[in-house]
Amino acid sequence: MSDVNAVEVRDLVKEFKTSFRRGPLRAVDKVSFTIAPGEVYGLIGPNGSGKSTTMKALLGLVQPTSGTCSIFGHDSTKVDSRQDVGFLPENPYFYKHLSGEETIRFYGKLCGLRGAALKTRTNELLELVDLTNAKDRRLGGYSKGMLQRIGLAQALVQDPRLVILDEPTAGVDPIGSRQIRDLIFNLKSRGITVFLCSHLLEQVEEVCDHVGIIHKGRLIKSGRLEDLISIEEQTEIVLSNADPALLDDIKKLIDSRDGAELVRTGKPRTTLEHLFLRETRDADSSNDE
Amino acid sequence: MSKLSSRTALFSPSRTLILAGSTFTQLMRMKVFYFLLIFVLIAIGVNFIELPHTVGPESTGSDKLFSLKDPMIGAMRYFAIIIAIVATALVIPKDQEDRTLYTILAKPVPRLDYLLGKLLGILALIFAGLLVMAILFNVVLHFHTETLLENRLGMAEQMGWSAEAIESERQDILRQGPSWSLQRGILTIFLMSAIIASVALLISTFSSSTLFTIICSTLVFFVGQFMADGRDYYVAKAAATGDGSNLTTYASKFLSLTFPDFRPFNIVDAAVAGKMYPPGVFFGLLGITAMYMGIYTVLSWFVFSDKEI
Repeated sequence: MSDVNAVEVRDLVKEFKTSFRRGPLRAVDKVSFTIAPGEVYGLIGPNGSGKSTTMKALLGLVQPTSGTCSIFGHDSTKVDSRQDVGFLPENPYFYKHLSGEETIRFYGKLCGLRGAALKTRTNELLELVDLTNAKDRRLGGYSKGMLQRIGLAQALVQDPRLVILDEPTAGVDPIGSRQIRDLIFNLKSRGITVFLCSHLLEQVEEVCDHVGIIHKGRLIKSGRLEDLISIEEQTEIVLSNADPALLDDIKKLIDSRDGAELVRTGKPRTTLEHLFLRETRDADSSNDE
Repeated sequence: MSKLSSRTALFSPSRTLILAGSTFTQLMRMKVFYFLLIFVLIAIGVNFIELPHTVGPESTGSDKLFSLKDPMIGAMRYFAIIIAIVATALVIPKDQEDRTLYTILAKPVPRLDYLLGKLLGILALIFAGLLVMAILFNVVLHFHTETLLENRLGMAEQMGWSAEAIESERQDILRQGPSWSLQRGILTIFLMSAIIASVALLISTFSSSTLFTIICSTLVFFVGQFMADGRDYYVAKAAATGDGSNLTTYASKFLSLTFPDFRPFNIVDAAVAGKMYPPGVFFGLLGITAMYMGIYTVLSWFVFSDKEI
């Protein structure tokens, strides 16, 4: 693993000009964080909190008012830093006149891929995002989920070490959303660093190792997800096939100890999303039979 | 996995050509292009039919051909200028609106490559459109020239004209037919549209409105048509009154760089009138075009390199 951080943002400030009377609008206020290679980092915050501006500064799409951003040690205001980055913007609209395959080839060519290498890479990515069957269709006919997946494929075309995703599942149905999350897990397993911006907390909780919470342009919390969301003074025990007598014994044991207190017992709950995915999958299986 | 081993070149011809190809295809899909192209092709093609002309019965054969060529070249000129302004005003805002610009510039693509790619794509589209129109125009003109030669020379022989008079009439008609001067005239229309496209590109790099870009570029085009006359008038006036001639000269030179001077390009009218348009003059105009395009493209790059997207 490299010593250089995949992403390093130091005291980033971004102000936008407004009318003369109002003065500048500070969208990002002294934000600092680092992302180690191979990490999945989620930047969460409400709409207008400065997530996208931070990301754009990292991609060199906006110039920082002060502070620095670097990608694998390269100043992100320089074009060189983009050689190792793939980016999927929120609700991407690619050239509608191109097919899925042509879109990947177009971005591949921009990254310098040619000939057999480009063809192989295009086929690999179409396979990865499960769009091989739709590769010849024009993007004008793609669903939102398919557009997000082709967007992810173009982001990965030059085999980058860092992938930046802005609200990757915005407006996508639960099945499409799950496919995108599976792709993020896939990237993580391959050691690719992922920087994810989202306001969908459940999604971030599921895929990220580290998170930062940004609010009104300030990074108010940052750290390992496990550390941030665990309740230090509580311990969770989940039992399977426990009869009522055993539960009574456990309660008695807890009551006999000073300081310890049983807070809650009950059945663990699945999420609505898991329920939805399970039921639709089951329905699909029974239809196939 | 990729490694940051190589530096991204400030300008890459292959990347620029990829972007130009994509811009060309993108613009080809716009209905406005087809609408305009078909309209102009009909305007040229309709001349296959013998229509009543405004020229009188005493007019010569060359007058007849001139009255045929003039509106057709005019239609081609307006097609090229309109496409240059409208297409250039549309491409960058459309990429920004669709966020295609984000995904392109998030790749190792220098902004100069992007701008040049867009400009080349637009120029390729204009060139292709003009080429189609020029082929049809030449076919129509050749057909009319041959018909006219047959009619006029036959009539001259019947009327007992001398051999010199018949030859002179033949040369007059041929001068108004398809010629290399006329082809250079059509290429000059392309050069004018290339200049105005680079002006529109510059305006679109700082304008947030497509309409603003279209209006400003159109104004620059019209100012460019009359600027030389205005400049000559003020320089002559300053020289006559003997006041501030240096300042006036510098100001007029600065104005020539700010607004392109299209007066030399009016040689197209001379070519349409059947006059000689030497290759040397054409290469001179090519040089002027390169100078203007260079200035406007470098300015566009300066503005666009710091543009917040």
